[in-house]
Amino acid sequence: MASISAAPSYLPLALIDKCIGSRIWVIMKGDKEIVGTLRGFDDYVNMVMDDVREYTFTPQGKKITHLESILLNGNNITMMIPGGDPEEGEKAGAA
Amino acid sequence: AMKRDILDLDKHVGKKIHVKFQGGRSVVGVLKGFDPLVNLVLDETVETIMDPEDPDTPTDETRHLGLTVVRGTSVMLVCPAEGMVETKTDPFQQQQEEAEA
Repeated sequence: MASISAAPSYLPLALIDKCIGSRIWVIMKGDKEIVGTLRGFDDYVNMVMDDVREYTFTPQGKKITHLESILLNGNNITMMIPGGDPEEGEKAGAA
Repeated sequence: AMKRDILDLDKHVGKKIHVKFQGGRSVVGVLKGFDPLVNLVLDETVETIMDPEDPDTPTDETRHLGLTVVRGTSVMLVCPAEGMVETKTDPFQQQQEEAEA
């Protein structure tokens, strides 16, 4: 789980900037989530990511797609979790 | 004249807040930081899962997200987590009925 550091990084976009080069978990408005290595982002928080797992949640269960490199449209982004992973919660829940 | 923000998030820093999103998601977390566009940094974030059949109704299911950055473009509502009650009945309806009678 990500940890918080000293005062200056409490600006949201600064925290995302610190995450460049690391894994990030992006939760969209609907039932889709993306985990990948953040390469960069722009003023609209469109994001470029590598080694991506795309999760689609349906009543039947989750579907995972692997994508090598993506440009994620920032329009539908709701939350971003530096260093996070949707699988971690599941493992913790099962333990 | 300078444009002024109507939402003063400074007073909520360090406190637990409830955030509702477009699309129906709902979280609580401790406000650590923000910017004028209402992007937020929330710590100890917990998302409450909504009923798939009735997206306005929360289930008892939650998931722990930890330290999150919230996108201001997606924020629909921000309020203090303490002293808030969610209800399905309209608290103003009784007043309306009395007024009509």
